Amino acid sequence: MSVTAAPASTGARRARWRAAVVGWAFLAPLLLLNALVVLGPSVATVYYSFTDWSGLGPATFIGFDNYVKAFGDAKVHEALWHNLVWFVLFLSVPMAMGLLGAYLLSQVKRGQMLFRALYFIPYVIASVVNAAVWKMLLSPTSGVLAQLGIDQSWLGDTRTSLLSVNFVVDWHWWGFLAVIFLSAMQGVDPELYDAAKMDGASAWQQYRSVTLPGIRPTMVFIVLMTVIWSLKAFDYIFIMTQGGPAGSSEVVSTLMYKQAFNEYSAGYAAALGLSMTLVTAVILAFYQWMRKKGWEDA
Amino acid sequence: MTASLSRRRFLSGTGIAALGLTAPSLLAACGGGSGGSAGDGTGKVDLWLDIQGDANQKYFNDKVAAAFEQANPKIDLNTTFYKGDDLRRLVQTALQSRSGPDIVRGPSATQTIAWSKAHVLGDLTPYAKKFGWKDKLSSWAVDAFTTDGKLYALPMRVDTMLLYFNKTLFEKQGWKQPTDRASLEGLAAEAMGKGIVPFGSSNVDWKAAGEWLMTVFWNHFSGPDALRQALTGEIQFSDPVFVDAVALVKSWFDKGWIGGGVDKYFAVPSQEIGANFGKGTVAMIPQGNWFMNQVGQYFGAKAKNENDWDWMPMPALRSEVKYPLFEMGIGGSLAINEASKNKDAAAEYLNWYYGDKTAALQRMAEVPTTYNIPIDFGDTDIPQTIDPRAGRVLTSLNKAVSTGDYGFVTWTWWPPKTDVFIYEGLEQVLTGKLTPADYCKQLAQQFSTEKADGNLPQLPAKGPAK
Repeated sequence: MSVTAAPASTGARRARWRAAVVGWAFLAPLLLLNALVVLGPSVATVYYSFTDWSGLGPATFIGFDNYVKAFGDAKVHEALWHNLVWFVLFLSVPMAMGLLGAYLLSQVKRGQMLFRALYFIPYVIASVVNAAVWKMLLSPTSGVLAQLGIDQSWLGDTRTSLLSVNFVVDWHWWGFLAVIFLSAMQGVDPELYDAAKMDGASAWQQYRSVTLPGIRPTMVFIVLMTVIWSLKAFDYIFIMTQGGPAGSSEVVSTLMYKQAFNEYSAGYAAALGLSMTLVTAVILAFYQWMRKKGWEDA
Repeated sequence: MTASLSRRRFLSGTGIAALGLTAPSLLAACGGGSGGSAGDGTGKVDLWLDIQGDANQKYFNDKVAAAFEQANPKIDLNTTFYKGDDLRRLVQTALQSRSGPDIVRGPSATQTIAWSKAHVLGDLTPYAKKFGWKDKLSSWAVDAFTTDGKLYALPMRVDTMLLYFNKTLFEKQGWKQPTDRASLEGLAAEAMGKGIVPFGSSNVDWKAAGEWLMTVFWNHFSGPDALRQALTGEIQFSDPVFVDAVALVKSWFDKGWIGGGVDKYFAVPSQEIGANFGKGTVAMIPQGNWFMNQVGQYFGAKAKNENDWDWMPMPALRSEVKYPLFEMGIGGSLAINEASKNKDAAAEYLNWYYGDKTAALQRMAEVPTTYNIPIDFGDTDIPQTIDPRAGRVLTSLNKAVSTGDYGFVTWTWWPPKTDVFIYEGLEQVLTGKLTPADYCKQLAQQFSTEKADGNLPQLPAKGPAK
């Protein structure tokens, strides 16, 4: 005896069709917006990266010339190196401080909200304001450290310019991380701590063996975002040093901006931007691969 | 209810939608077709300007915009103010998308050439003929914005470099105004010995400030004749006469004479330098004539000191160079957007702004340097109400033009990429990453490339200009 599946009724097909149409209709406004402000410029960037476009007027197709130029451009190499230094500092310093701050906050029973708010303040202040204030504070003649007799031009010395800007960015960022980590820590099952205590674990051992594994997904996410943010670093650097002096704090995004708007090399800037996008894509792909391997949850 | 929308269908759908939407804009970007029109000479005219400060904006609104609308009641001048750097970026982006203001406040001559070559600026030649602009404006300035007989912008402001000094400090110290390198260096050494920074300078708030210094040293050390030869291609910028000028700048930085040293030049905000200038811990500031509009805030009761300022011509830094000598240039331009739907009305504004000599001179008298448009006038035409220091700038420039004792500012007569290299490369020299010779060699290469592309404004003929 054979059994044949009954054909789907017309009513069921119509219902599925209606569901699809309704789904698309809900998505349509966002898709349209996305196509206009994200996908459109993205497609244009790909196109212009293969041209000698000045940023104005017509563009001539020049194949891979911009990419070849970028590959051998000493300014790009230097900027990429600065991006790497930025990434290492931006990942390690705020992360360490954020973890420490979150742990200390988790021990506070009274006034935790006040501390949370205080930690959060630098993050909610506009980068332009933060950067302008720190620019004054770091002045070699009238800044805070100058008043204490320290004779150092933090932003004007090629050895310290990048580190100084990074310090300001870390300062505004670590409090945010502390609050995020604290939230994650509060989600760790208290019974795990009780079990660890029963086993005689010290505070440090509890932190290392219970807290850190418990907030691992949050940490992994923050690491991923830090990589992406490091590649996009622009605002603080542009406001505080404009990549100077002599390119000592130049990163790829500030270099790209100068190429596009100062040197009328928008095609080259597009190629630089797209190259950075590819680097980000590779990192994202690696992250996804690691997730599939169970790294995040291990 | 769940809509059955697979990832594949979602991606293909969005991709097609995006391509459909972006293709026309890409084509518009690559193709021509301005879509502009002359209009009927009435209606709204948009103007974006970079005038800063409430008082300055009020002056423009009251004395320029309102006065124009009173004289032309059928035209509504709609002005929007932006910050300097932001304005150029915004205008450039707007021009590319065939939008933006009707009247374009453009950058200096060489950069405006780039805009003109991209066909985003309207041809002003017919308007120049109609309104007789060539008879109203100084030829040397108009020619800088003319390529192949086509006028694409009008020169906005005459620029030169001056050496501002704390007059009270000079009197107190018994210092005389230096006129040559020996007396200037003697004064600088003496000031330094007394803990006074000889020359205030910083690039913190304006990255391109380095080219102001190079303009001063190339004009007053290398000299305008050498510059003319280099700009016309007779000699190279790698010539020792230019290399030595760069070496001199560096040596002054190394001695701490300029800005207190290299690291401070890169880190001390200009407001702080101005305040120190007013207090007398900075003796002199080599700056453009536009600084005259700001320098007053650092002196007198407002700044809580009893000091006063004045300016002098930059001393000759080599015996072969004339003194006094004023480098000439144009700070910005005013053009008409090729995409404007109201070009005739925009041209009416330009004609009103440049055409009424009495009103223009009155503005020059009331606001030092901001409104110094390049029009021909005699010294006696200048209103008596003008600040004598601002008046002296006008008469000095008139004399320099009539005698031919003028030089060239980098932001007007150098091509755009070379101009950027002047201040970017100078940072490399000051921090020891480039030698003066290598800097000039790279400059010469960049200049030759751009000269070959025809990105140079027309230089005034040697000798007296008009």
